[in-house]
Amino acid sequence: MPKPEFLTAQFITSVLTITIVMQILLAMAGLSIYFERKISAWMQDRYGPNRTGFDLGLPVLKSLFRGFGFWGLGQSLADGIKMLLKEDFTPRNADKALFMLAPALAVIPALLGFAIIPWGGTLAFPELTIPVLNWTIEAAEVTVAGANISIGIVYLLAVGAISIYAVALGSWASNNKYSFLGGMRAASQMLSYEIPMGLSILCVLLITGTLLPMAMVDHQSQHGWLIFSQPLACLIFGICVLAECNRAPFDNAECEAELVGGYHTEYSSMRFGLFFLAEYTHMATGAAIFAVMFLGGWHLSPFPGVFEIPGLRAEDTGILAALLKFGVLFGKVVLLIWLMMLIRWTLPRLRFDQVMQVGWQAVIPASMLLVLMNATIVYLGRTSLVEQLIANVLLGAAMFATVRMLPKSTKNKRIRLAGSRFSPLEGEVAVAGPQIDLAREDRPVEGSARLGAH
Amino acid sequence: MRDADVMVLRPAPMNRMESVYLPEVFKGFGTTLKHVFTTFSGKSLRTMQYPEQRREDMPVEQGGMEKKNFRGVHRLNRDERGRVKCVACMMCPTICPARCIHIEAAESPWDDREKYPAKFEIDELRCIYCGMCEEACPVDAIELTTEYDFVGRSRQEMIFDKEKLLKVYDVTITKKPM
Repeated sequence: MPKPEFLTAQFITSVLTITIVMQILLAMAGLSIYFERKISAWMQDRYGPNRTGFDLGLPVLKSLFRGFGFWGLGQSLADGIKMLLKEDFTPRNADKALFMLAPALAVIPALLGFAIIPWGGTLAFPELTIPVLNWTIEAAEVTVAGANISIGIVYLLAVGAISIYAVALGSWASNNKYSFLGGMRAASQMLSYEIPMGLSILCVLLITGTLLPMAMVDHQSQHGWLIFSQPLACLIFGICVLAECNRAPFDNAECEAELVGGYHTEYSSMRFGLFFLAEYTHMATGAAIFAVMFLGGWHLSPFPGVFEIPGLRAEDTGILAALLKFGVLFGKVVLLIWLMMLIRWTLPRLRFDQVMQVGWQAVIPASMLLVLMNATIVYLGRTSLVEQLIANVLLGAAMFATVRMLPKSTKNKRIRLAGSRFSPLEGEVAVAGPQIDLAREDRPVEGSARLGAH
Repeated sequence: MRDADVMVLRPAPMNRMESVYLPEVFKGFGTTLKHVFTTFSGKSLRTMQYPEQRREDMPVEQGGMEKKNFRGVHRLNRDERGRVKCVACMMCPTICPARCIHIEAAESPWDDREKYPAKFEIDELRCIYCGMCEEACPVDAIELTTEYDFVGRSRQEMIFDKEKLLKVYDVTITKKPM
């Protein structure tokens, strides 16, 4: 039997990477739910989950662990089992097909985004002979990534945009007005923040001159991390990642106070679980892309020549070096997820008009200016770290100075309503206080007697 | 409320640093992180680990239970001869706002009173633990104890009959004397 064409060193590495990283990711989603609860508890002076161990309520296991709670680590497992065993409810007038499709559409793009993350840099794949079939796989330099595709970061933008469908379809299919409102909000928010996200990625593309995440990491190892040379782009990208993940302070799609549960109000059981999983996987994807683009990927040295560790250099291509690189990148991802949690439990949720205002009146113009500035310095050939930093600081200062001079048109347009106390119709007298005579009887209200239309 | 009583509060206009938001955001991170560390040091933890720690074991000043007037599950007191003290005067079902007490009176087998409760049932799920039965009782027969963690697997189980209420007395008399 001849060796199939596709069976190359890169193929084997890709399959291995996908298999391993996928498992880690799914396990991490559960773990990050646990840590989210734990960290939020610490921030609010509570304990958090600290009782659910791994005994599953079975007396045998209970006596084995002797009541040891494992600091509540079993909580995510218990939640997962609960979600699998719960009734899977579909509303009567829901669109059955779309209702089923939406949770899958939420998870798949979040997982797909991982394909282009170069987890372990370059690996020198040794020549390998498969014993029985007698196939020889030639030695080659391969990338430890799911897919080493040439469009690179554009793929991420394309895949990331699909997750809007999940929210919009899920909300529409569940035939619930609150869900639909949540879905509409999510869709408009994601669309709005896709623009500055693309523009901030464009800044990185201008500076690094490549679409490949691998090459971006290499560029940063030679010129210093982009978080230092492009702080504004980094900030805007961070904001957009939060908005794309539908995470606080941009979680208007699941605004509990107004929309019951948001777009997944009607979902129960593991379908809801999938939405949940998608949110946390999305966080991890966003963090990984952020780490690759701005935090130097698997490098620990922020500037060339500073704190360089053998094993993390570009010329280290052994299997141990690849594992070490994976560990460093993964550590950065964990740190960024922790930062996202810190943001979620610190900042209050923005009102929806504020989200749009921040998006269209602050982030998008700022990112446009940023692209303009970066294009200019690239044209002038002034792209050393210090020059970029100076340009960034100057632009930031200019925006800081002019933000007050800009015309203010942020006032909400009030719609006049008949009978409203706050925004009455033209010429109408607003009436405050109780309207029923019975209610007036026991406590005369001078204020409303004065204003009263009676 | 009168219109004159309405106070309109407007937040002070933001200064230049505040209008950029970011410095304030980082200040907020500082606050949350501070709480993480105070939680680890145990300074700001106020949570009680319930089944292990109980309010009745804590001093009242620190949020412990005031045993004298805590209103938990009911009991029917016994007199010195071990008989039920109740005389079935129907005061408690009359005053009960939740109507959870049901008494069937019968002629007393003893000489010192005319009636006694042949049946005495309290629906513990309907009860609102207001303690009015306790106050209405002329012979101090019904009392609320300090027990609050009693459970059942059905609604029927939570309707306590005379025997069960007398048993509550036997269990709690050492904890809370009459």
